[in-house]
Amino acid sequence: MNSIANRFSTTGPISELRKAQFHVEDDEFADSVWGSEAGFGSLAKGVPNFTVPSVSDPSAFLRLHTDDFADPNCRIKIQHGTTTLAFRFQGGVIVAVDSRATAGSYVASGTVKKVIEINPYLLGTMAGGAADCQYWETYLGIHCRLHELRNRERISVSAASKYLSNLVYSYKGMGLSMGTMICGWDKTGPAVFYVDSDGTRLKGDMFSVGSGSTFAYGVLDQGYRWDLTDEEAQELGRRSIYAAGHRDAFSGNTCNLYHVKEDGWKFIGNYDISKLHYDGPGETPGAGYGYGVRIERNSAAAAATSITVQA
Amino acid sequence: MSRSYDRALTVFSPDGHLFQVEYALEAVRKGTCAVGVRGKDVVVLGVEKKSVLQLQDPRTVRKVAMLDDHVCLAFAGLTADGRVLIDKARIECQSHRLTVEDPVTVEYITRHIAGIQQRYTQSGGVRPFGISTLIVGFDPHDTKPHLYMTEPSGIYSAWKANAIGRSSKTVREFLEKNHKDDLSREESIKLAVKSLLEVVQTGAKNIEISVMESYGKITNLDLTQIEAIVSEIEKEKEAEAERKRSRLAATAAGQASMTSRATEATSGQ
Amino acid sequence: METSFAITGKGYVIVASDTTAARSIVKMKTDEDKIKVVSPHLLMSYSGEPGDTLQFAEYVERNLRLFHIRNNYSLRPSAAASWIRRSLAQSLRSRKPYSVNLMLGGFDVTADTPHLYWIDYLGTMTEVPFGAHGYGSYFALSLLDRYHDPEATLEEGLVTLKRCIDEVAKRLVVSPGKYKIKVVDKDGAREIEM
Repeated sequence: MNSIANRFSTTGPISELRKAQFHVEDDEFADSVWGSEAGFGSLAKGVPNFTVPSVSDPSAFLRLHTDDFADPNCRIKIQHGTTTLAFRFQGGVIVAVDSRATAGSYVASGTVKKVIEINPYLLGTMAGGAADCQYWETYLGIHCRLHELRNRERISVSAASKYLSNLVYSYKGMGLSMGTMICGWDKTGPAVFYVDSDGTRLKGDMFSVGSGSTFAYGVLDQGYRWDLTDEEAQELGRRSIYAAGHRDAFSGNTCNLYHVKEDGWKFIGNYDISKLHYDGPGETPGAGYGYGVRIERNSAAAAATSITVQA
Repeated sequence: MSRSYDRALTVFSPDGHLFQVEYALEAVRKGTCAVGVRGKDVVVLGVEKKSVLQLQDPRTVRKVAMLDDHVCLAFAGLTADGRVLIDKARIECQSHRLTVEDPVTVEYITRHIAGIQQRYTQSGGVRPFGISTLIVGFDPHDTKPHLYMTEPSGIYSAWKANAIGRSSKTVREFLEKNHKDDLSREESIKLAVKSLLEVVQTGAKNIEISVMESYGKITNLDLTQIEAIVSEIEKEKEAEAERKRSRLAATAAGQASMTSRATEATSGQ
Repeated sequence: METSFAITGKGYVIVASDTTAARSIVKMKTDEDKIKVVSPHLLMSYSGEPGDTLQFAEYVERNLRLFHIRNNYSLRPSAAASWIRRSLAQSLRSRKPYSVNLMLGGFDVTADTPHLYWIDYLGTMTEVPFGAHGYGSYFALSLLDRYHDPEATLEEGLVTLKRCIDEVAKRLVVSPGKYKIKVVDKDGAREIEM
């Protein structure tokens, strides 16, 4: 995973090797020269060279050392539990995520940034391996910028997501673990694409990914309309993440909310999920999303009306 | 690298020329002429067709090629080199769709073609492509027509109207004189034909015209259509010549009468 | 569960495929088009390993298009099917094979005949009057043995297809909700709403 660093370093054995390889390849007319990138390729050649363990089956090796289901004592624990969601509506795209990172049954962090800001117009979400998402979406950002410089226009969300999907597809079966939504606004309007490490890429209006996604869908599907107002849409995103954070043990802590509009994305806010439970997004005790809180509020309201009726 | 030293055919001359590239340009100058004209919302490619031999099938000789639904290319120079470059470009068009889902933009494919041409001026064991190309088309989600030219050196540039190949200088000068912004479809076609007639003496049967009107909408004019345009142009030219002649005659007559009057005057004295 | 059917009739082929894209127990999308129009008179439905399916289908689509642009005519269904089968067979013997099952329905404009090919991920290819992939095939094949008529009109063909869809909806535990239906005949390929 240190290939970028190697590429820019000028000394050391790896860069020597790379230089040698470069000269050899430059002398010949490699097929890739006439392939998709004809001398305008990426930083080096196509996808970066991925240093894999020098064992016969790298993915089995990785599984052996990372699968905490098979072996709870394994050395490397990859983060898994997450809830992320994104949906398209009349006013743009809402992206909402939780912030909990778990490694096995241990809450490793409660302040993870699961929205990756690829550039001012593109957001990516993070589910699955945190490192995989962070690394490859940053890498995607580099390419989006290069595309911009070469073609004098911003990359479409479709092209960016396709680029990522092709990239992870080329590593299929080697242990990458990502489930991400690429969200943004381009010439065609707001767009959301779901990309995962199987190589699946889906265009759609609404997606939710992660262990808490089922809980999020439950709230999201019921509250969703195309013509939601901006405030309603943000509220729906927040409520959905709260629902997942409340019900899913592997999701929670806080909710990060973003809104993508024509002029790029905007960070709306960070909300403590426990606080959402009792107080809601504002500072009003008793206005929370929680079931008990809501029922209490309703019965209080009912009591108030019955009092007025009596009076 | 000592290896590439003796393999390179393209080596600078002491005064900074790449002779192989200049010879390639010479091959382009020997090729049949091709013209591109960009109108308001249309772009026209016109090419000079070589006369085919009596027993040859004219359909097998084509100088205008579709690269994709929305991009078209005409070239001047070595036909065989053109075929190779066109195939590379066609593959790239599909490959681009496969990798980013969107069709290529006209500039992208132009840059790609120019990139290939450039590589062949800087590599060992190869010679440059002996062709210049005119590339026309429309970008996806856009209504503006585009016209680009590439050269064997790998230069590419955008144009309102341009010509490549045999006598391209004459034709370009003609275009410079007669091109106006925002030409209509008919005007663009006429200008293309007219400019080709500057170098094609044999008329309609040696002219091929392709018109692209919007994304993916391309038509090749058939012989009768081109003949109609040519005869119209000829009529205009004749009328123009007639007017000139009569004007000349009138001035001549005027001068003659003046001189005769002058002589009368002198004789009257 | 992914299911696709295809049936031939008098001068046409109907290809139908479910429209769900699922990941574990969640339907990520319910209107995914899994039938590609790979050339003017050729339809291809694809199912199998997520990722592989679309990558392979797009690879086929672009290569058939390239053939069309290079030669100014399209491959006939039999030729296209052979090429696709060979691509799958070659990939099967590579380090990372495509796991994709296909139904290829086309209309041969030169011979004026409809053709349907059943291709699986092992590179098996056979020309069939009707075919199916996925769990739906366990219900549909016997049904089609009983009711399929190669001389049926398009309306009758669609009725037979409806029987398949209804049967699968009735008996399969996790049956797909919606189907996309496309037809190819002498006029080319088009989508049909049921």
